[in-house]
Amino acid sequence: MLEWFDLSKRFGAVTALQGVSFSIEPGSIGGILGENGAGKSTLMNILFGLLHPDAGSLRVDGRVVMVRSPRVARRLGLGMVHQHFKLVDTLSVLENIALAVGRGPGLIPRRRLGRQVQHWADQLGWRLDLTEPVGRLTVGQQQRVEIIKALCAGGRWLILDEPTAVLTPQETENLLDSLRALAHQGMGVIFISHKLAEVRQICTQVLILRRGRTVYAGATAGLSVEAMAQKMIGRPLEPLTRAASSAGLSSQPRLELRAVCAGGGRRGGETLQRVNLSLQAGEIHGIAGVAGHGQDLLVRCLLGALRPTSGEVWLDPALGHWRHRVWPGACIPEDRRREGLIETLSVQSNLMLKDYRRRPFSVLGVCRFARWRQRATELVERFDIRCRDLNAPVGTLSGGNQQKVVLARELADTPPLILAVNPTRGLDVGATQFVLRQLLAARYAGAAILLIHSDLDELLSISDRVSVLYQGRLQATAWPAASRDDIGRLMLGV
Amino acid sequence: MAASQAWFLARRAGREFGWIVTLAQAVAACALVLALVLTGLAVVGYSPVAIVTRWACGAAGGVYPLTSSMVEACPLLLTGLAAGLTFRAGVLNIGAQGQFLVGAVTAVGLTTRWLPAAAPLVAMPLAIAAGALAGGLWALLASVLERYRAVPVVLSTILLNFVALYLIRALLHGPLQATGTAAPQSPLIPARDWLGVLIPLSSFHWGVPAAFLVAVGFWWFNTHTTWGFETFAAGLNPAAANLAGIPVRARQFLIMFLGGGCAGLAGVFQVLGVTHFMTASFGDYGYAGIAVALLGRLNPLGIALAAIFFGLLDVGSQRVQESTLALPQGVADVVKALVILFMLLLGAYLARRRLRVTSLPDAAPPTSAGSAGPPGGVN
Repeated sequence: MLEWFDLSKRFGAVTALQGVSFSIEPGSIGGILGENGAGKSTLMNILFGLLHPDAGSLRVDGRVVMVRSPRVARRLGLGMVHQHFKLVDTLSVLENIALAVGRGPGLIPRRRLGRQVQHWADQLGWRLDLTEPVGRLTVGQQQRVEIIKALCAGGRWLILDEPTAVLTPQETENLLDSLRALAHQGMGVIFISHKLAEVRQICTQVLILRRGRTVYAGATAGLSVEAMAQKMIGRPLEPLTRAASSAGLSSQPRLELRAVCAGGGRRGGETLQRVNLSLQAGEIHGIAGVAGHGQDLLVRCLLGALRPTSGEVWLDPALGHWRHRVWPGACIPEDRRREGLIETLSVQSNLMLKDYRRRPFSVLGVCRFARWRQRATELVERFDIRCRDLNAPVGTLSGGNQQKVVLARELADTPPLILAVNPTRGLDVGATQFVLRQLLAARYAGAAILLIHSDLDELLSISDRVSVLYQGRLQATAWPAASRDDIGRLMLGV
Repeated sequence: MAASQAWFLARRAGREFGWIVTLAQAVAACALVLALVLTGLAVVGYSPVAIVTRWACGAAGGVYPLTSSMVEACPLLLTGLAAGLTFRAGVLNIGAQGQFLVGAVTAVGLTTRWLPAAAPLVAMPLAIAAGALAGGLWALLASVLERYRAVPVVLSTILLNFVALYLIRALLHGPLQATGTAAPQSPLIPARDWLGVLIPLSSFHWGVPAAFLVAVGFWWFNTHTTWGFETFAAGLNPAAANLAGIPVRARQFLIMFLGGGCAGLAGVFQVLGVTHFMTASFGDYGYAGIAVALLGRLNPLGIALAAIFFGLLDVGSQRVQESTLALPQGVADVVKALVILFMLLLGAYLARRRLRVTSLPDAAPPTSAGSAGPPGGVN
């Protein structure tokens, strides 16, 4: 039995956790739900010994324990699978596991460890090549390595932090099955997520946090997804309303891909094969597909980072020419921390990262900072960005607020053309709704939006047209006439 | 809560008065190092008091020592800018030494050989402009190699330092060699082309204030112009800068050219203002510039302060060495190196303290009562 009572933690004036209690039996799966900033990560860090609670206690098998460091946590049998994997890309699977299991200096017990790893892999029905460098594995496989690593280190309580955020639908299904199998064998699993359906699907108990306080702790049965969402965000979830398609307002497309081929080459990998695509003003064209079927190449072709091997990218001449290799519209990149934002730069500078060169924000190459401040203040207000101070580095904001900074910068001036790639990745329900609403608002304002998204439900909820990318081929669907299942089948190539 | 409250205040102060914190850090580092070195010297048998007084008097005890220190600081400041500007833009230009030499040799060549008949008024400005230009082009060579041949700038600039060194040796043995000597040495530059001395009987040439003006100019460039903003953004995250439409490559070329120009100017000022002729061993200001840039935290004004500090240290140590105390010259270098090490250590320590606090959930304004919750930095 893993239980905690009345855990509290404060940072300065902020209460991160206030009197949170919960317990998990071996052989069951417990869920922890909450928006970004609700205190999930704080709780996890306390369990794993990275933070120390101001009050409250932790009990493992009825014994009160002090988790002073991750090492102690590991000794108590707490295994953590972080959202951002802690793996060394260049080392093999076995070596990575040896890193976590190893005790002091000495040789790696390859044979023994290999048997142990194989044992767990067999139990879970996974196939793992132990000699493969981790960097060459898919994200789903890397996660398996993380899980086996935790198990081999003696974990009896497995804590997974947003494990499905990076997985494809099939991988997610597999993971959930594996977790059930683990629970069957007597493991206790803590599943942290903000995907409500998944929590409902596999958790018997759930702890819902809001602003550091317990809103609900108890059985999942009898709790609908809507009820969970309401508890989590503190108000009912409004459905997204989408007016009838206004596509075709202008018959003239703003962007066209004509028989574009790209990729392949010596190293193999993703390809694009004769992709045809058109994008008109006032529509959201959704590109569905499992990650790794050519989305990356498509994005790079559009942004001008990659020259198609054949075919043509055509842009409305009023917007610019693709030859200039400059995307003329807004872009919400997939990886906001790497491509969307400059983390160490202030919120204000990040908001101005595109507009700074325009009058009145700079005149003859000299910045007018008073104008920057004015503009940034306005955007922070309009997009409800929660930050203490415009000069705070944007990296200190939560994921949702970081994405709002990107949206504010890209969408504020109703750009004619928008490319959005997985714009809700890693965001909680509230922030996700916000992002989708902003995209819809841009559509009403007449933008042509290309939405490449791996979450099919979100994609379908706002797209006017949907195409599916499968193994580099783009196939149009009859959406909204086609059913969700039809599209799902196309994504799997059946 | 008192402790955390104090941290809050300290953090706010740190953000608003970042430069004061940095300065305090530098002073603390210097004090630590001086204490350390002096204790060491006392143990070995030198009198610390005598050394400190000699050092202080030699570096700053009067107009003449002070001007010598400033003259020494001048090339350090310019090569420091060459490194600092480019580092800030994410280009690791280790080649200030080569750019410095190329600038100097261009000026020597123009004033002694290649422009003999030019009017006296033209030769000096021409030499200055050409020297800076040559330094800039020499730096640009590394950028071009990176752009078209994928040679990392760190590597090519280091290697180009050697190319520059042997190039000037060849020139000083060949076309630029003074008549009547076998040594690799240029003829004396005609006095009319020397930089004017501002304080009589000292070596305080007008290149020194000019160098400080250049530093102020680049401070303004960095903080007030769009190009300065662009280079900074490109240095922090080229991918994001590129996606935001900043011409990253072009700005890196520009900053490399400007940085190389500064180093070239250092060479020109040194040869026209101080040595008035050139030998194959013309000083290591280029390498010292990297240290100056790091000590100055890549900020042009900080670099100016760091250069002055190094100048004082160098000149003072020369006086100590010349005096009866006979302290080896190396001690000054040890002090310089230790100061930088301590600066970096203190900086890293403070950054970690700061990180530990900021990586925890951020404070939301207590009045905000919306849905999305306060930002939780960890998620």
